Amino acid sequence: MTIGLEHYLILSAVLFSIGLFGALAKRNAVVVLMCIEIMLNAVNIAMVGFSRFWGLLTGQVFAVFIMTVAAAEAAVGIAIIIAIYRSRQSVDVGEVDLMKW
Amino acid sequence: MGTVITFWALAVASVVAALAVVFLRDVFRAALFLLASFIAVAGIFLLLSADFLAAIQVLIYVGAIGVLIVFAIMLTREVKRGNPWGRMRFLAAIAGALLLVTIVLAVVNTAGWPGGTPPPPQATTEPLAMRLFDLETGFVLPFEIASVLLLAAVIGAIVLVRER
Amino acid sequence: MNFDLLTPELGLCGTALLVILADLVVERKTVLAGLSVVGLLVAIGLTLWLWGQGPATAFGGMLVMDQFALFFKLILCGAAILVILSSVDYVSKFPRFQGEYYGLILFSAVGMMLMAATRELVSIYISLELASISLYILAGFLKDHRSSEAGLKYLLLGAVASAVLLYGMALVFGFSGTTHLDKIAGMVGSLEGLGANPGLLLGIVLMVAGFGFKIASVPFQMWVPDVYEGAPTPITAYLSVASKAAGFAVILRVFITAFGEPAWLSQNWGMLFAILSALSMTVGNVVALAQGNIKRMLGYSSIAQAGYLMVGLAAVGRGPGDFIGQSSILFFLASYALTNLGAFIAVIAISNKVDSDLIDDYSGMARRAPLLALALAFCLISLTGIPPTAGFVAKIYIFYAGIKQDLLWLVITGVINSVISAYYYLRVVRVMYLGAPAAEEGVPSSGALRTALGLCSLGVLVLGIVPGVLIGVAEAVKFLMP
Repeated sequence: MTIGLEHYLILSAVLFSIGLFGALAKRNAVVVLMCIEIMLNAVNIAMVGFSRFWGLLTGQVFAVFIMTVAAAEAAVGIAIIIAIYRSRQSVDVGEVDLMKW
Repeated sequence: MGTVITFWALAVASVVAALAVVFLRDVFRAALFLLASFIAVAGIFLLLSADFLAAIQVLIYVGAIGVLIVFAIMLTREVKRGNPWGRMRFLAAIAGALLLVTIVLAVVNTAGWPGGTPPPPQATTEPLAMRLFDLETGFVLPFEIASVLLLAAVIGAIVLVRER
Repeated sequence: MNFDLLTPELGLCGTALLVILADLVVERKTVLAGLSVVGLLVAIGLTLWLWGQGPATAFGGMLVMDQFALFFKLILCGAAILVILSSVDYVSKFPRFQGEYYGLILFSAVGMMLMAATRELVSIYISLELASISLYILAGFLKDHRSSEAGLKYLLLGAVASAVLLYGMALVFGFSGTTHLDKIAGMVGSLEGLGANPGLLLGIVLMVAGFGFKIASVPFQMWVPDVYEGAPTPITAYLSVASKAAGFAVILRVFITAFGEPAWLSQNWGMLFAILSALSMTVGNVVALAQGNIKRMLGYSSIAQAGYLMVGLAAVGRGPGDFIGQSSILFFLASYALTNLGAFIAVIAISNKVDSDLIDDYSGMARRAPLLALALAFCLISLTGIPPTAGFVAKIYIFYAGIKQDLLWLVITGVINSVISAYYYLRVVRVMYLGAPAAEEGVPSSGALRTALGLCSLGVLVLGIVPGVLIGVAEAVKFLMP
């Protein structure tokens, strides 16, 4: 048995779905942020997998940019979470139910 | 054979850690499992002979983002609140499951993926730099845009957390 | 390397930094708005100069300066100018960070301008994120409870949408082995069917979902009402106009360049957009009927307007060789930008005084602020699509494009929806003109805001009476095909 492209893609699909499920089902903003990072990791696995099997580096370059944006997004997200904590001064922060509607 | 065992070990580790992030009640432990998942994914990158990416996966995700998240949890006493479910968790579960089945079916049945055995692994750091910065065929434009993006994010983060 | 092509964007980045630095030394903060407007005017001048130079590409084909990109740059710069002018009063409430506020608007404008001008997936993604991250920050800029929550919700849902978009891009890259749209077209163009390649089909669908979030199409609209309500009102206006325009620019470029051929493929994505269009119109209008807050109402209205715009996308998909779908979208976006900004600017002026966004509090506004109420009423009439306004011409034009491509059912849905929308748009007009005023004092506003509102109303009127010139331009605008 060898590990082919499909194995990596299915792993990526599983991680992506877990991340999406968590991002939509969780109420704690920090946990939602963590789930989004899992989704981005899943995308990166697919990108790097394709890159490897095409024999190209384009997918890896894409992954580098995704990591850059992920870091920036996490920083801004956490800044907003801290701002919410400040304005409410309560433990009950980040009460965002993303599927409230 | 070694590759096969390593792949399965890393795949199971990353999936279990991701599930732990979603299902654990303690936010702090969830964050630690997130770091574990990141490290397992770095291992996957090594298997795909992406050595440079594996290194920056550890540096950026485990180092920077992981630390940021732990900071956020501690600063906001998020721990006390735990990790509650939203009201629509069943809908989210159905959406996630449907997406998973769709992606897996689509991916397995696609004939157009690059096939065969990949070229032998080689060091990627230098070719990656060439790929990024070659003026004619490289990714100079997105690189420049990324610098503006990081600047905007830094400015924004400062504005948002400074006292009014 | 032809760096000339980047001069508008480089100029705006420089202006943004200058404004942020000037904030440290300048006492009179209106200077900052002036500086930003000057920077944007220079960018418009440079864009017009590039228009004269003819189409060109740089960075190995990643950056493309064709008339299509330049047209969108003009819309985006114009929208940013109007938003900045209308922010002057609003921003005076902030004790600090006014420079950063204008700077982030400019950064976001740079991102959106690049979205319209890139032809490569990595660049599209990163410029989209530059625009989005700046907007997330701006949405949470007030740092009060509602604004922060709007920023957080926008950021989290936006990040989920980006991840979905990226997964779609990964699948498309995996199929074609390239991120350049023209080269993707080369791989896709010869396909007989997608039966053997469901992975590519899934990639395209996921990209539609990711971009659908940016243009606020149903079913990816869940962020709209709360974010529109909580964000600072000028930023809401900016979101509803600029971010939507940039989204449509990207969709047009990606789908025509990469997936325009073969015909059966474009037929299919055209049908997908037709379904999303019908859903967006209907859901947006029906839910808007029940809204008591004018910002929420305009939020749902912008979902419905995205639906009308997608009639054009459906027409493009059904007849990719026929440019009327594309030019009707361009004209609709230009007139929608003027109309919606006008409506929001009037709302900003009124809420500065009344400190409420409830439609009931607009009662008798025609007696307290006759000109303001007139401008708001005029813009709402244009949003409904009643002559003699830009909105009327735009709707006729885009519905004509739909009929020409045999989308009669969609156009009928659109007409029925326009009738429904008249109820909630004109309700505001009725409250303003027939209601009893709650107070007697007038509604003061700054010169900058009055200028912006005057420009919008004038534009809406001119485009409604003599639309020929802009329609001519929109029909001449093509993008550079490889």
